[in-house]
Amino acid sequence: MSEQPLQAASINTITATSTATGTGVKVQQRAGTLDLFRRFRNNASLAGIYLFLGIMTLFALFPIYYVLQASLNSTQALITTELQLIPTHPTLDNYRFVLQQEPFLRWMLNSIIACGLATLIALLCSATGAYALSRFRFRGRQLSLITLIALQTFPGLLAIYAYYDILSTLHLDGTIVGLSIVYAASNIVFGVWNIKGYFDTLPIELEEAARVDGASYLTTFLRIILPLAAPALAASALFMFIGGWNEFVLAKLILNPDANSLTVPVGLFQLQQDQYTPWGDFAAASVLVSAPLMLLFLYLQRFFQSGLTIGSVKG
Amino acid sequence: MLKVGRTTIAAYLLPTFIVIALINLYPIFYTFNLSLTNKTTFNAFDSSYHYIGLTNFQFVLQQTGGDFLRVLLSTALYVAICVFFFATLGLLTAMALNHPKVRGRGFWGNALILPWTVPTFVTALIWKFLYNFNFGPINQMIRLVTHNTNAGILWLDQPVPAFIAVVIANIWMSYPFFMVVSLGALQSIPSELLEAAHVDGASAWHRFRYVMLPLLRPALLPATILSAITTFQMFNTVYLITSGGPFTSGNINNPGATEFLIVYMYDRVNNGGNLFINYGHVATIAVLVFIVLFVLAMTSLRFTNLAKEAGQ
Repeated sequence: MSEQPLQAASINTITATSTATGTGVKVQQRAGTLDLFRRFRNNASLAGIYLFLGIMTLFALFPIYYVLQASLNSTQALITTELQLIPTHPTLDNYRFVLQQEPFLRWMLNSIIACGLATLIALLCSATGAYALSRFRFRGRQLSLITLIALQTFPGLLAIYAYYDILSTLHLDGTIVGLSIVYAASNIVFGVWNIKGYFDTLPIELEEAARVDGASYLTTFLRIILPLAAPALAASALFMFIGGWNEFVLAKLILNPDANSLTVPVGLFQLQQDQYTPWGDFAAASVLVSAPLMLLFLYLQRFFQSGLTIGSVKG
Repeated sequence: MLKVGRTTIAAYLLPTFIVIALINLYPIFYTFNLSLTNKTTFNAFDSSYHYIGLTNFQFVLQQTGGDFLRVLLSTALYVAICVFFFATLGLLTAMALNHPKVRGRGFWGNALILPWTVPTFVTALIWKFLYNFNFGPINQMIRLVTHNTNAGILWLDQPVPAFIAVVIANIWMSYPFFMVVSLGALQSIPSELLEAAHVDGASAWHRFRYVMLPLLRPALLPATILSAITTFQMFNTVYLITSGGPFTSGNINNPGATEFLIVYMYDRVNNGGNLFINYGHVATIAVLVFIVLFVLAMTSLRFTNLAKEAGQ
């Protein structure tokens, strides 16, 4: 009596194990194909990603490569209807022409003065205001912040007649210094927002501790807060400078049209006559204007990203 | 928040506010004021111009044959198309760079960000060259592929190709901004969330649609509106490539195919070299452009926490 159920039980176990191993094998087999399939699909999608990155990189780099090689070609060699991607007779003539025959260095100097001055004015004027907006609470604070946003969207071009008026009152019409004042207007608004955003991330305990140690608010601001905000100040300065460096329309409308008082963008496009466009010189000048900023930007990228993203793209 | 006296607050605020009042606020009030007058080149010096109410607005919106509204619509279309491509390509490149199995991210990242670092007037110059009918490499490639030495697209002399040309140049220089923003946002998504969704059987599309996208929204939305505003204001890559043209209507006073608002404004200031300028009309256009930009900016404010932050 006692053996039967045992037997039955053992039979049961045997069948149980056999079915178990049976399905186990099946499961394993299925998992194998599924895995293979998944791996194939993953590899295919990885290949797709590389293909996409490759195409986008080609899109990003081709125009830059093209202008680089064009700068080493003579304008004559560029005037061809056939595709040519490597200069047959590389020459530095375009660079020589731009640097010697055209007031290119003068334009560079003018641009540097206009952008540098505008950056300096804006940094000096925005740091204290940004600090007040970040640390102090007062009536009208919210209104000031919203006004700043509205001002940031107002391109200087829209108020061009007002700027003509201001500059002629200051006897600065047509000058680089006058232009820098107009540039400072947009820089200062950007600066206040960006630097304020960075101040917001600095712990207020810094000032409180300094206060306990007997430092005045001014000392704390100058000796502790400003040095700590160096990345944000540097990032803001770079973006202000680049903003002016890129600017065409205000410079075109404000500066005297004689060749020596222009900035780089206006001077460069002045080279273009109605019938004839000196592509080789254009290309060489483009390389000369872009290379320093591009290298600087790439080199400082990591450093600036913290200063910028924390400040402005905080949303 | 620091508790300080009123004089301290004023001392910190005043340098900033006085300068802003002089070089930002005053010019805006000046322009608004000008838009309500009949000032022109003729009556500017004898100061015989006076306020004429909203007549200028009526003129600009109605009597110029609806030019302003047409330009506004084409600008909106241009901005929408541009921003759509910035966001899509920026997000896709960021997702590709963020893929755990992709190698050489430093190389891809630096190469893809490069267009952003090119000055915008140089971008305009490069693309103008690329689009050149006879000597531009794009048409040269078309000739190479079609074996036809006369083939090629008149990129800048036909309305639709010129529109496309300007859009492509803008995409080229602007998608890296979205890539950087998206990459930062993607890296802040905890990988556990995506793994959990994976374990629960969510497909790749569902993981993207229901896990990633909602988490990216707070970063992408302000970036989208911000790029809409900058694209709206972008002068160089439109004017320096097409000069606002082509002007196919035969009448030089009619806006060209790529004459978007800011270029339209510039052309009114310039007035084709014509010395007679109706300052009131130009200021009115400026005020209308300002209103459009202001509405965009306030919309962006709604979607970010700036407003909340401001109220603290």
